[in-house]
Amino acid sequence: MNIAETHAAQVFLVHHDFVKGVALKYAPWPGLMEDVTQQVFLEFMAKESQWDLSMDARPLLATMTRHIAMRLWRERTRQQPDVVQKLADHIRQLAEEREMPPRYEDEVRVLRTCLQKLPQKSRELVELYYYNDVSTPQIAEQIQMKADTVCRALSRVREKLRECIEQNLNRGGRAHA
Amino acid sequence: MPDADTLIQHYLEGTLTHAEAEELHTQLQNEPQLGSKLLQHFEMDAMLRSTKPLAVPGKLIQPALIPRHRFTFGTVTTVAAVAACIALAGAWLLLSLPKPTTEDTTASVAVLTRGVNLEWESAAIAPGTPLSPGLLKLKSGIAQIEFYQGARLLIEGPAEFQLISSGEAACTHGKLSVNVPPQAKGFRINTPKGTIVDLGTEFGLDVSDESAEVHVFKGEVELHKAAESMKSLKEGQAMAFAAESQMLEANLSNFASLSDLDSRTALSDRTQLDRWRFASDQLNADSALKLHFNFQDDDSSRSLQNHATHGEDGSIVGASWTTGRWPGKGALEFRNVSDRVRLSAPNEVKALTMAMWVRINGLDRAFNSLFMSEGWGDRKIHWQITREGRIRLGIAGAAGKGHQDCDTEVFFTPERFGRWMHLTVVFDPQTKEVRHYANGSLLAKIALKDAAPLKPGVAELGNWNDRRSIGNGIAIRHLSGTMDEFALWDRVLGEAEIQAMAR
Repeated sequence: MNIAETHAAQVFLVHHDFVKGVALKYAPWPGLMEDVTQQVFLEFMAKESQWDLSMDARPLLATMTRHIAMRLWRERTRQQPDVVQKLADHIRQLAEEREMPPRYEDEVRVLRTCLQKLPQKSRELVELYYYNDVSTPQIAEQIQMKADTVCRALSRVREKLRECIEQNLNRGGRAHA
Repeated sequence: MPDADTLIQHYLEGTLTHAEAEELHTQLQNEPQLGSKLLQHFEMDAMLRSTKPLAVPGKLIQPALIPRHRFTFGTVTTVAAVAACIALAGAWLLLSLPKPTTEDTTASVAVLTRGVNLEWESAAIAPGTPLSPGLLKLKSGIAQIEFYQGARLLIEGPAEFQLISSGEAACTHGKLSVNVPPQAKGFRINTPKGTIVDLGTEFGLDVSDESAEVHVFKGEVELHKAAESMKSLKEGQAMAFAAESQMLEANLSNFASLSDLDSRTALSDRTQLDRWRFASDQLNADSALKLHFNFQDDDSSRSLQNHATHGEDGSIVGASWTTGRWPGKGALEFRNVSDRVRLSAPNEVKALTMAMWVRINGLDRAFNSLFMSEGWGDRKIHWQITREGRIRLGIAGAAGKGHQDCDTEVFFTPERFGRWMHLTVVFDPQTKEVRHYANGSLLAKIALKDAAPLKPGVAELGNWNDRRSIGNGIAIRHLSGTMDEFALWDRVLGEAEIQAMAR
């Protein structure tokens, strides 16, 4: 990497979480956020000589991310059966109609604190499912429960984390707020 | 058909069947609020996946959720019964998980390793204390904090500082010196004026209401400010970033260094040791003092001098000499099953106070001895810490009467291991209660069933002798820790006296 490329990469990394938030809004398909972010990075770097990096990069990154997210979302859902495509269309429409701006950057920062406040059993469940990639049927088998029960448990954990994030953000949980 | 939570989970996992996809679609069309719920779960799911590397660096979880013995007849029938109950009650999974072997957990992300002349506006913390995310307000002094990812900070009071995670902190005002080894690269400090991301370096940060100054002493840092492009600062450079940023030259002398801390720590230790010597000598004049071991004996000595006016010296068995609370202060380390100090306490006392400075390494045994009378029965006493961390004064009943365990709530959690603690227990026949204190603060008051005199007699520090001179099956109750002062009075000490000793 030359100096300009290094600088461009650093600019992108500063806005990494912002890009993820935009990707989530325009590509609400499981697992697609990371792919979109990676693709935005590659295309941003490929054209780095075109960008004026002394300006705020967010408007540029938002536009790029939106285009790439929609493109990748179409490619991904096109491979699905009709019934799934209709569902995916509906969910994307819901996501786009949401008035709330993406808050991914703030929320993911607070999430780390909230994770530490979870009860031990809930943390173990998060670690198994999200960090060790153990599927819900496998977890259910290990603990001799129904898979649906594990699904509901994960749902409750996510809801608890959501509550915790809301509480923190509403009271200005960020240290420098 | 599964319920909405399960359908959403299958959507997130990518395992929706065609029928489930159709059902979820129908539900979304009929219940507008379900769409909002699905999007919230979708976003949380994505965020949780993205926290993976930071939340568990290099940690492969082998959780305790998995039962150990799954296919014995007993467990199969038990599991069947439990499953039936769950099916009936629809019990919440996380409450009904099979009981794992309990494993302690911690929310801590850093540790206060050293401090000089610390005065806190927030809750006081002592060196050795693990720190969880939260706000620290330092009024004065220098605190050294080491983050679990490896970054080391010196904070000079007055300062307001928030721990966010093992790799991130925020400073709203005050001076910091930061050392970030390569393993902690990416360590972030947020300030009201912007964020500093460290690329493996040493730098100073001075945050005031008007501006934040970053001085780079070694390596490189990145400055990120809202609506501005990232700026990079290299060795020797400094920048004040406020409304407008201004380049400066780095000024090392403005910030506390490790050598400053070393010299101030040495001075502070020396002062504290001198103060302790004076206070410890004062204790000896008390005629109610029956035992006082200050552990300042020659380190080749195998006996402990009793500094009380009357009374016998103690005898060291196994335990080895080490450094106590400060350099120059002696202590005994108890590690092995054999380690103990044999001593002769009064045969009978109407009232009693015992005090000790001790550093607990862990609670390996069901009963971890602080001071235990030899044998058990007839008003003998066992001052100990239970495996779960309660401090207990066990008092044996006289003439076949039942004993009484006077316990605190759980006090010794893993966060308290490895730190010097002052413990006191008082047997007060006037108020008919036993009182436990830790670091001068009252932990528990327990009403006595029987306030008859105690009979400590021959006893041991850090171990227990059940009186048999030979035989198998002798219970192991040795302490895992270090002790550097012990005293016993045959009177009740007041709170002010206890607090003075704990300072």
